[in-house]
Formats: sequence, C-alpha cells, structure tokens
Amino acid sequence: MIAWSRRTVELGLIVLALLVTAGAYTLGALGVTSSIPADIGPFLLIVAGLLIAAHVATRYLARGADPILLPVAVLLNGIGYVFIARIDSDLAARQATWTFVGVLAYITTLLALRRVKELERYKWTFALAGVLLLLMPLVPGLGRTINGSRIWIIIGPLSFQPGEFAKIALALFFAAYLTERRELLAMATWRVGPLWLPEPRHLAPIVGAWATSVVIMVFEKDLGSSLLFFLLFVMMVWVATERVSYLVVGTGLFAIGAVGMWSMLTHVQDRVSIWLNPWEDPQGKGYQVIQAVFALAWGGLTGTGIGLGDPTRIPEVQNDFIFAAIGEELGLFGTVGILIAFMLFIGAGLRVATRAERPFEKLLATGLTAILGLQAFVIIGGVIRLVPLTGVTLPFVSYGGSSLVANYVLLAILMRISDTTAQRNNEVLPTRREERRHERAVLAAMNAPAPMYSTGDGYDADGWSPA
Amino acid sequence: MNTQIRRLGIGLIVCFIALFVQLNVIQVVKADQYNSNPLNNREVIADFSRQRGFIQTADGKIAAESIPSGDRYDLLRRYPLGDLFAHSVGYFSLTYGTSGTEQSYNDLLAGRSRNERARGIAGLFANDSSDIADLTLTLRADLQQVAKDALGPRNGAVVAIDPRTGAILALWSYPSFDPNTIATHNTEAAKAARESLLLAPGKPLLAATYQERYFPGSTYKVVTASAGLESGQVTPEAPVYPTSNQYIPPGTTNPIKNFGGTTCGGNLAEILRVSCNTAFAQIGVDLGALIMRDRATAFGFDQPVPFDLPRPAQSTYPTLAALVRDSPKLAQTAFGQNDVQATPMMMAMVAGAVANGGTIMQPHVLQEVRNTRGEVIQRYQPRPWLGAMSPSVAAILSADLVNVVQNGTAKNLAIPGVNVGGKTGTAQLGTTPPSSHAWILGFAPAEAPRIAVAVIVTAQPGVSEITGGAVAAPIARAVIAKLLSLNLP
Repeated sequence: MIAWSRRTVELGLIVLALLVTAGAYTLGALGVTSSIPADIGPFLLIVAGLLIAAHVATRYLARGADPILLPVAVLLNGIGYVFIARIDSDLAARQATWTFVGVLAYITTLLALRRVKELERYKWTFALAGVLLLLMPLVPGLGRTINGSRIWIIIGPLSFQPGEFAKIALALFFAAYLTERRELLAMATWRVGPLWLPEPRHLAPIVGAWATSVVIMVFEKDLGSSLLFFLLFVMMVWVATERVSYLVVGTGLFAIGAVGMWSMLTHVQDRVSIWLNPWEDPQGKGYQVIQAVFALAWGGLTGTGIGLGDPTRIPEVQNDFIFAAIGEELGLFGTVGILIAFMLFIGAGLRVATRAERPFEKLLATGLTAILGLQAFVIIGGVIRLVPLTGVTLPFVSYGGSSLVANYVLLAILMRISDTTAQRNNEVLPTRREERRHERAVLAAMNAPAPMYSTGDGYDADGWSPA
Repeated sequence: MNTQIRRLGIGLIVCFIALFVQLNVIQVVKADQYNSNPLNNREVIADFSRQRGFIQTADGKIAAESIPSGDRYDLLRRYPLGDLFAHSVGYFSLTYGTSGTEQSYNDLLAGRSRNERARGIAGLFANDSSDIADLTLTLRADLQQVAKDALGPRNGAVVAIDPRTGAILALWSYPSFDPNTIATHNTEAAKAARESLLLAPGKPLLAATYQERYFPGSTYKVVTASAGLESGQVTPEAPVYPTSNQYIPPGTTNPIKNFGGTTCGGNLAEILRVSCNTAFAQIGVDLGALIMRDRATAFGFDQPVPFDLPRPAQSTYPTLAALVRDSPKLAQTAFGQNDVQATPMMMAMVAGAVANGGTIMQPHVLQEVRNTRGEVIQRYQPRPWLGAMSPSVAAILSADLVNVVQNGTAKNLAIPGVNVGGKTGTAQLGTTPPSSHAWILGFAPAEAPRIAVAVIVTAQPGVSEITGGAVAAPIARAVIAKLLSLNLP
C-alpha cells in the first residue's frame, strides 16, 4: 500500500506545481501586458495533460518510486517556462515543444528501462558513447562555437549540446566500472605521507577522467562541463571505494589542472578576473555578471513581480542567467524557493541512493543526483559570484532542449532505481492483473492447483533475493 | 557506501547554504548599494514608468514635463524650451541618468521619499501619483532669453541673481545643448548625441555659470577694495595712491604695469573708476596675505557652495603658504590674476554682496513646490550664507561702483534714470595673439537692489581695460534693463 500512497502524494504535489506554474504564468502575462493571457485555458490544459501523462506513466511503470522527484522537476520546469515565456515568446514555444519531448523521453525511458542492472553490461558502450558525445563538437562541420564554447553540434535544422547526454552516459559508465573495480581500487598498497594510495595502475582511470576534462576545457572551452565531469568522477570513486585518499588525490589533480589551465588559457584567466573584480570592465567583460547582480539586488526581498522587472538587460538571461531573472522578479523569496527545490531533489535522489541495495544502483543514483546538484550549484554560484562563472544550464529551468530532455531521462533512471528498491523491499503490491498473470504462470509451470498468494518474502520483483 | 553518500549530501547542502548566504548579501544587505550604483539605471527606469512632476519657470513657462511616450517606459520627459535651461533644469535620461534640477530634486519630482522602498512594491503596481510634486523655479524664461540673445554665439556665461534672497534669476551659458536629445528613449540616438556633445568645442555639457572657473581679472578688485575698507587701512579718503605706471612689489625687480602702460593713482573711488592695477597691487601687498586670504574666504572663495544644483565648482584663492613669501603673487591676486579663479556665479554673488549690505544669501533655483492639485506645499526660505563685509563698507563700495558706471570703465552698463553699479574686468590669458576674458559685474538699482549680474565672455581678442566694458557690459545691461522693466516686487 506504501507504493500507492506514494503516488497519491505525488499527484497532490504535481497539482500544487501545476497551480504555481499556472498562477505564475498568469501573473507574468499581467505584468507584461496588463491582461489575462488569452491562451490561459489551452495552456492549463496542455500543461495539466503533460503532467498527468507523466504521473499516470509513473503510476503504471514505476509505482513504488519516490514521490518527491517528479513534482520538484515539473515545478522547476514550470517556473523556468514561465520566465522564458516572459522573456521571449518565440523561445517559449520551442521550450514548450522541448518540455513535451522531455516528458515523452521520461515515459519512454521508464517503459524501455525495466531493470537498471541491465545497463551494467553496456558499460564500455556507455564509455564510448560518452566520450564520443563529448568530442562530437570538435568534428569539423558538425560542431559549432556559440558564445565562445564549442559545445554544440548542428545537423540540418537541429542543434543540440551532446554534453548534456554525455553526463548520463558517463555516470552510467563510472557506476558500472566502479562497481566492478571498487574492491581493487579500495586496496591501499603504498603510502605517501599520511595517505594510503592504491596501486598506481588503479589510479589510471582517475588520470584518464582528468585528461578528458582537460581536453574539454582546452578544445571546447567549456569550463563548466569539464569541472562537472571531473568532480563527478572523483565523488563516485570516493563513494565507491570509501577511501578519502581519492578525494585528496582528486582535489590535488583538480588544483593542478585549474592552476595549469589558468596560467595557460586566456579565457580561463578572463573568467577568474571577472569573478574577482567585474567592476574593472563594467561595460565589457564584467557586464553580464554586473547586470545579474543589479537584477538580483533590484529584486530585493520580494521581487518586482513577474513581468515587472527588466531581466532582458542581462545577456543570455534565458540560458545560464535565468536565475538572475527569477531573483529580480520573485526576489529573495523566489531564489530561496529555487534553492529549496534543488535541495529537495538532491535529498530525494540521495535517499534513493542510500536505500538502493546493489552497488551499481547506489553509485548510479549518487552520480546522477550529484551531477544535477553540482550543476545547479556551479551555475547559481557563477551567477551570484560565489564561484567563477562557467556556462552550464540550470537543470530543468534554463532554456534548452538538450538539457531538458537529458534531465528528464536522468529523472526517469532515478525513478526506476527507486521503484526497483521499493519492489525489492516488498513495498509494492502487485495489481490484480499482475496477480492473475502470476497465478496463471505458476499454474502452467507446476500444472498443479494454484497456491495461495503470499505477501511474504517469496515475492521477488526482479528474480533476485538478498539471501 | 551510505556513509559517503550522506557526507556527499551534507557537502552539497553546505554548498547550497553558501548560495543562500551570498543571495542574502546581494538581495538584502547590499541591495541599496547596488541599486544606487551609477552604472545601474533601474531606479531611473522605475521613475520613468511613473508619473513625474513638471518643472516651470518663475514666469510660468513649462521647462520640463512628462508626456505619454507610447513605448515600454510609458512617459517621455520633454523640454519645450530646448537648450534654454539645459544647465539648470538638466535632463532626465534613461541612458545617462539625471542632471540639474532633475537630479537635485529627483525625489520630489518622482514622489519618492526615503522610506519608499520600505513601503514596498505596492507603489509599482498602483502607479500612485498622489505624492509627486511640481516645481517652480526662481529662473525666468524671459530674462534667460534676453541673456541668450545678448550673449549670442560667443562662449561665455550670464548669471543674474536677486541679491536680497539669493534666488537665481538667469543662468545662461553658451554653448548649451538641447536636453531632449539626451532624454530620448532611443538609447542609440542619446548615445550619439552625448558623444558629439563631449567632442564639441566649449564643453556644452558643462554649466559654465557654476561648474567652471575663470580668472576674474579686475572684477576681483571689488573683493580687494572691501578687504582694505574692512581692515581700516583703506578709507574713502586715504591713502591716495601715487600716480604711476608701475608698481614693484617687495622681493622682485619685475614691475607690475597697467594696461597699455597707462598711468593712474588716487583715492579708492578713483582707482576703482579707472581700474588701476598698480594701486590695487599695492593694496594687496600692504594688507598682507592673511587679510587678503581671510576676506576671500568671507566672500566664499575656497568654500563649498550651498547651491541646489549638482556639483557647483568652488572658486579658489591661493593658500597662505603659497602667498606668504611671494609678494609678487600676492600683488597679482589683488587684481584677480595669478591663481585666483572664480565661477561666474561667484562673481554675481560678489556684486550681490555689495548690493545687499554685505550679506551673501544662499544661491538657489527652487522657489516653490506644489502638489498635483496646485497647492503650494513648500516654499524656499531664503537663508544668509556669508557675511562678506559690514553694511557700512558695502555702502561705500556701492557708491564707488555706481561712480564706475557713471564716470568710469563701466559706462556701457548705464541705464538712464537708474543708479547702476558695476565693475569691469579683463583677465589676460597670456596667449599669442593676446586674448582675455571680458568681465562685468553689476547691480541695480543701487538704492534698493533687485538684481545683481555677472557676465563673462571668454577668450576675446585683445588686452585692454576697456574690453570688459565693451564686450560684456552691454549683455549685463540688457539683462538688468529687462528685469527692471518687469515691475516685479
């Protein structure tokens, strides 16, 4: 019964998210044009339809899954959409399409991926796919440099950021690889100072990941992704091996890489000097960050109200800087709301990880949650000058198809892991139809009178028993 | 692994708490600081979307008003009088913020008191125009127009002041600019206009009347004369300065000469009448640096000017340290050369001090504040600024300056039937070919003064004591005559 109550909670939360989104959308239109939007009816229907579809799909395909993740994701997606619509209605139409594709991707993933452990076998495929996706923008004719970063590929009318999907592929690979090697990696054989280190050859993957992120940084000028991939890997190794030495070595490599990049690459130097003192060139390099700070300050505690601010002064406000637009129009209350939403997502995601029993699922859930949380931290921190600015999207909120679709796939995988755990813990009762099918199968196999169905330990969702 | 996952969770929460703290710093603690940053014109834009009071001149001409703009900022600021009040009314620009009255009385015009932000965002929604104010200035469009026409296309400045109250009646300088070009909502056009004004000769964006300093030349002799009288070392009768064509200050062999090598001397009235450099140089040296500097400060030199327009320049007189061992320098300052520099408004106040029994009133352009129903809610109360000299000294000087107009270098200032006082000035610029600033200051009527004026026409060709009287005096006379013809109280 637990599973069903989870879905009821989820439905209630989704309705809340829907109300917030619709209310914000109406306020946004009121703020910009002083009239109730003409399309509020169809808008509500379409959004409600999408959310109900996602919810119903979850009900059938992952009914034991965590009830927090999906509502938080759709709330963030909804608020992001409202702000994109308020900034540029053309972009909003495209973002709506991408939301549709995202929800579709979510349902498809749940449908196609019935057992997460099946993915473990394809780890090298994922490794290859991840690296290929990352390096694709470097292919001449395919890649495209936008805003100084070569992270886009263009095929015909379609453009997308393969890095968004690469992060999932690499999290899958890291999780599978570390599940296999974690015992070996955890063995410390030699000592440097207070640190016990494993065999040097086991350190090779860390160095490999490090080298990959350096390549991304140097050739694609994509500071954000480079940072995220490396941090993701170091964290996953640390969680898998339970050895702090990896964190230390990882941090050391990170520091070396950072200082090295800083001393060699002018665009990294620019980023750092803008971060430290944007006021040196307020009309040039520092313009974007300064305008973001002005927008946030103007929002103050309560904001100007949606549609009543002036966020379009910030270049690229619909992408990396959407958080500043939210801060201007919803104030500190709005920005803290977004922070809390992300913290809820991280909390729920890590709870999925701790509850999962298999190392692969644990690591995968940890990795997926960490990369989403880190990405949110890196971009929000960049916008508010807590850390140097690195161009990544704010998950679920920023404009961008690749990011939205990839994050919905990420969400579906988390939901699948969560559901699998629930099934295994017997928190999920079979539906009547499943019961009957089960009975028929048993009957057919044993050619004997049907046994009484037991709710005890005997029911096993994916044929694996902890014994 | 669960331990590590929990620690990872704690780590991420710590990261987000850091975000929370930084957000509080930006959005609450430092918000006001960012909002008032000069690079940030969001407050201006907020003001643009709300009603804003109009500004009218003392003679009822609208100098600034807000009209529907039809674009996203709702209201466009318009200046129907064009360049006439560019330096006093100023502009209210989306791109370049505010200047002039638009800046110094912005809170009144926008209806924004200090606690407005605390009152919250309701005001932004309600478009509440109940506490915006309309301003009436002391400046008169008719007088300003006369000043503008009289000066014509010559670089210079005209300041007219009511010596009894400190009310500025006219404040014109050429070149000026049309504030409508800066106030346009088309930022590209505003930018282009400002760029070309920045490059234009004569600094049109700067108010030459109160933001620029010039050598006052012989007009400064009024200050020196008052210093002599105030100290008691000079009286109307004595000393009688030797008639000479040169004066050699102690500590140098370089003589100070009169314009064109002329010879002059006599009592105070006489040396003022002919504007005798050699005699005034001697007064300066006789009085000494201490008294000279003390009296300069009494007139407002090296004092912050309590003016209600932004960034008034201070007029300057050399420091004691610079003068005490340098008699030649001291001698030159006595007739307004060397390091003495004054704004035209300062010199108008010098004339005003003589006219007003020695008291300089605080200069101001604001006369009345009205609410949207037209009721006067605030009226400017005249306040004395400085006691430049005693009434008796002022009376002596006033008579002497009337004599300068009737019988001396300032004859061009004379108006039949009116006792006008005045003093010419010609500040040599040391250029080749020789050029000088032509100055005049004046006041009228001497028995009950209603106007004090200073006029400068800069960098005029030639150097002679008549330059000031020939070039600047007709302008001052036109302004004085216009005001006296108006039958004002």
